[in-house]
Amino acid sequence: MALIEITNLNIKLGNRLVVNNFSATLSAGTITAIIGPNGSGKSTLIAALAGDLPVSSGSIAIDGVGINTMSLRETAALRSVVLQSRNYWLAYSVREVIAMGQGPAEIARIDLVLDQLDMASFADQSVTTLSGGQAQRVEIARALIRDSDIYLLDEPLSAQDSSSKERIIQVLQDLRASGKTIVVIAHSEVSALDWCDQLFNLGS
Amino acid sequence: MRRALLISIALISLSAISLSLGATEVAQSWRYIFDPFNNLDSPAHQIIWQIRAPRIAAAILVGAALGIAGVLAQGSTNNPLADPAILGTSAGASLGVLVGVLFNIASIGSVAAVLCAAIGALLATLLTFSLARSALQLITIGIGVSAILTAIVGLTITVISRPDARSISFWSFGSLALVTPSALVILAPVLVVAAALAWKIAPSLDLLSLGDASVKHIGHDGQRIRWKAFLILATLVAVTVSIVGSIAFLALAAPHIARFLNGPRNRSLIFYAGVVGALILLIADTAARALVPPYELPIGLLTSLLGAPILIFTLKKGGDVWR
Repeated sequence: MALIEITNLNIKLGNRLVVNNFSATLSAGTITAIIGPNGSGKSTLIAALAGDLPVSSGSIAIDGVGINTMSLRETAALRSVVLQSRNYWLAYSVREVIAMGQGPAEIARIDLVLDQLDMASFADQSVTTLSGGQAQRVEIARALIRDSDIYLLDEPLSAQDSSSKERIIQVLQDLRASGKTIVVIAHSEVSALDWCDQLFNLGS
Repeated sequence: MRRALLISIALISLSAISLSLGATEVAQSWRYIFDPFNNLDSPAHQIIWQIRAPRIAAAILVGAALGIAGVLAQGSTNNPLADPAILGTSAGASLGVLVGVLFNIASIGSVAAVLCAAIGALLATLLTFSLARSALQLITIGIGVSAILTAIVGLTITVISRPDARSISFWSFGSLALVTPSALVILAPVLVVAAALAWKIAPSLDLLSLGDASVKHIGHDGQRIRWKAFLILATLVAVTVSIVGSIAFLALAAPHIARFLNGPRNRSLIFYAGVVGALILLIADTAARALVPPYELPIGLLTSLLGAPILIFTLKKGGDVWR
């Protein structure tokens, strides 16, 4: 269970103010969608929530503790992250990529997650041969095998067909039911995000 | 496992063939090769076991060290173009040895030269590492550092006038002709320890292939992994450069050929790239000393001539080994 409190957050990239005075409370057991046009700061915001980017001013706290005061291991234990970018240039199998850097408990969950995301058919295929949607699911699987309190997902549905989208949304809803805090960046219309509990439009 | 066995048998067989080849023709050389205690005082025995054998052992050890250094360079920078030459490590080691020799505190192949090379390699690597802000910058800044140091080494060798200037020049282009048995005593244990350490950090190098952000998200520090890899790499390069000079291309090609043989996993690459590096250098050195006797061909040109076609073939035939 984790409560994320974002207070008066400003993030500058170079001279450009990308996130401007953003505040929000993201409760445990909720799914929050962040939408907005290209360049509105969605990915920057999720990078800051992940602890990847320093904030210019304001704060991000998880259960009252500032994220900038946490160690690498502390933040890693709290949250799992799905990035938009994928960096597969070597022919590891899908199963190998999902297991990379994980502990025995996470590795024991691989088959379960492969099944949840309908990935068993290409689990032993090389990641260099995957379609965009399959590769995106590999990244989602890497996050899901970790039992974190927070899941941060940057456009997890952008390359998925409708049945895969439904599966992923179902998995996220199951995580919500178990008390996880979930933040999703989406490009969808508001009407397509009715499975989320709250929505922030960075373009407004 | 079968591939590992086959490539190991190939290395052993080629070592035996290499023992029988050289500038001086040895009659019934196989008798001496398969019975090392036969006629110990004969010239044939001395040629095979006291002149050729140490050099063959050096080719195998140096080739293996450079193959493993290539795996560490490419794995730690997450870049298929990386090798110790590109990162400035080799040029730093060369400059270290040259400074040691010019100030009469080391001779080529000695323990002092290894220490000078280690200092040079570590300082050059540290310079590249401290100036770079990303894995890509490591390559571009490393190329710059390497170019500066290589120019300093080249200019210094050109202008020096001392009795051993010719052997320094010969060493700078890479040669196994100056290898002594005492150098092997340094090389072998360093290689064993470095290979064991490389094997230990290999899974972290697999993880680095996903990019620094992915590494960070599961609680690991990409820069820390890179540092460990660079320290091992610098040690391997220091010990090889101090003994045989800079040998081109091997550290770049061996990991790619090894990936073609047994996939991208860095633990298996440590073994396969080591054996592939040993094989290429052994064949190149045998050709260097046996093709146009009594002249010795430049080993760096032969490793390129031999390794490049194999590299191109494996990348063309390798399918999805990497893209």
